[in-house]
Amino acid sequence: MNTDFQQIISSIKEKYELDLVTLAFIQPAQLEYVLTWQFAVGNINNRLKRIVLQSGKGIAGSVFKSGKPILVKNVTTKYPVKDLFNFPIIVSEKIKSFCALPLYKNNKVQGVILLGFRREDAMTEELYETIKKNMDTDFPHFYEKEMAKN
Amino acid sequence: MTNITHSQLIDYLLGMYEYSSEAIFFFDKNNTLLNLNPVAEEILESEALEAMLQGKEKSICLSCKGYTNTEDLVTCQNCYFLNPQQDFSSFQVYLETKGKGVLPYTASFHTIDKDEGINVFILRNLTKQLETQETLFRNTTIKQIIKAQEDERKRISRELHDGVAQEILSSLVDIRVMKYLKDPEDVAQKVKHIETSLTRLLDEIRSMSVELRPSSLDDLGIEAAFRSHFKWIEKNYGLIVHYNHEIKGKRFNSEIETVVYRICQEAILNALKYADVDEIFVHLYEKENKLILDLKDQGNGFDVINRVSRGTGLGLFGMKERAELVKGTFSINSSVGKGTEVHLEVPL
Repeated sequence: MNTDFQQIISSIKEKYELDLVTLAFIQPAQLEYVLTWQFAVGNINNRLKRIVLQSGKGIAGSVFKSGKPILVKNVTTKYPVKDLFNFPIIVSEKIKSFCALPLYKNNKVQGVILLGFRREDAMTEELYETIKKNMDTDFPHFYEKEMAKN
Repeated sequence: MTNITHSQLIDYLLGMYEYSSEAIFFFDKNNTLLNLNPVAEEILESEALEAMLQGKEKSICLSCKGYTNTEDLVTCQNCYFLNPQQDFSSFQVYLETKGKGVLPYTASFHTIDKDEGINVFILRNLTKQLETQETLFRNTTIKQIIKAQEDERKRISRELHDGVAQEILSSLVDIRVMKYLKDPEDVAQKVKHIETSLTRLLDEIRSMSVELRPSSLDDLGIEAAFRSHFKWIEKNYGLIVHYNHEIKGKRFNSEIETVVYRICQEAILNALKYADVDEIFVHLYEKENKLILDLKDQGNGFDVINRVSRGTGLGLFGMKERAELVKGTFSINSSVGKGTEVHLEVPL
């Protein structure tokens, strides 16, 4: 597995003119699995790389656990300020609209990719659908449509 | 300008003096009481009155217990009576009253005749107004506390439902499936899956329990509890806490340890929510028989006086309340763009 992930997310960022693309993969650490944002492009600081994500918590956590993508068109209207600290990456990177997709391999979620804008309402429904549709070519060998249907 | 004669005005003024609900005193330049109205007579003990009428030095102190300035609720610093050149047109004063103990009054003290040095001292009973204010304050805080409590329960309930129950359910389904698996390889994979799921569950329950109340606080003390809490903060929020402690694992009264821990936790949470910073400095040390906690960040800061509450507004209030529980002092120093400093001192 010699895929150059940094290269992949950089080209995704350029293709959709995004402000931030980050990529989290699970890494087996003994029995536990640890999910961290290992790759990022367009980030303001490195705070996100220090965060160890928990399954079910935060953006990556819920995508990872549910295996379903999420779309937030406007962070400001969706989350009240006092709850926002539960999504550290949104706060520290000043993200205003984003989507996050699961990355599958062997029918299991292996990682999460987050695509964000620092402008409100920039991640539109249409863009989100386009991104989802193109993801298996943008991100070769990893993105498969949801498996639950068969 | 007026429709009444001078003598009528004097009549009205005398009537007001006689029947006003405000207590009025006249003092001459030697601070001897010249005259007082009937309400004033009702307020003061006859002993104090006698002394004031005779112009004994500091006779007012027999009744006056101090006034409120910008530094203290009750103080004798810069006494209004002895330094009337300052603006004392409206202030709060505490008086020992006849049969009712010490009561707060709204007072004004000013000179009405510069040449003769005549001063007038007017008092209005504040008890009723303060009671109303206090009840209002209590009712609003109680409402907020109940809401905060309910929110906390909601959070824990949701975490139990979405986290713990989910994970158990998924393991349960896996186990049911396993009963029908024939291929040992499939069984092995399922077992591995269940194992991971249960490990995650264990982790989740552990972190929930620590979040509620860290057992290390009881078992190992404040220093160790802080260390693991700061590690947790860094893992979860990416905020680096520079922790500097000089108490060498010393243990304190568990009430004090809890207060210091909770205040620090709340302060860091505030920094996380509002300061927009990457790092925060914590210093815990003992000095002159006091346990001292200093927190510093170089973030957004806020206007301490004209604070616009972005949360429930209970946080700062709660920190103060907690500090007072152990007779500690708590202060916040901050201004917009200059970062925030939190200082806590608890006497041991």
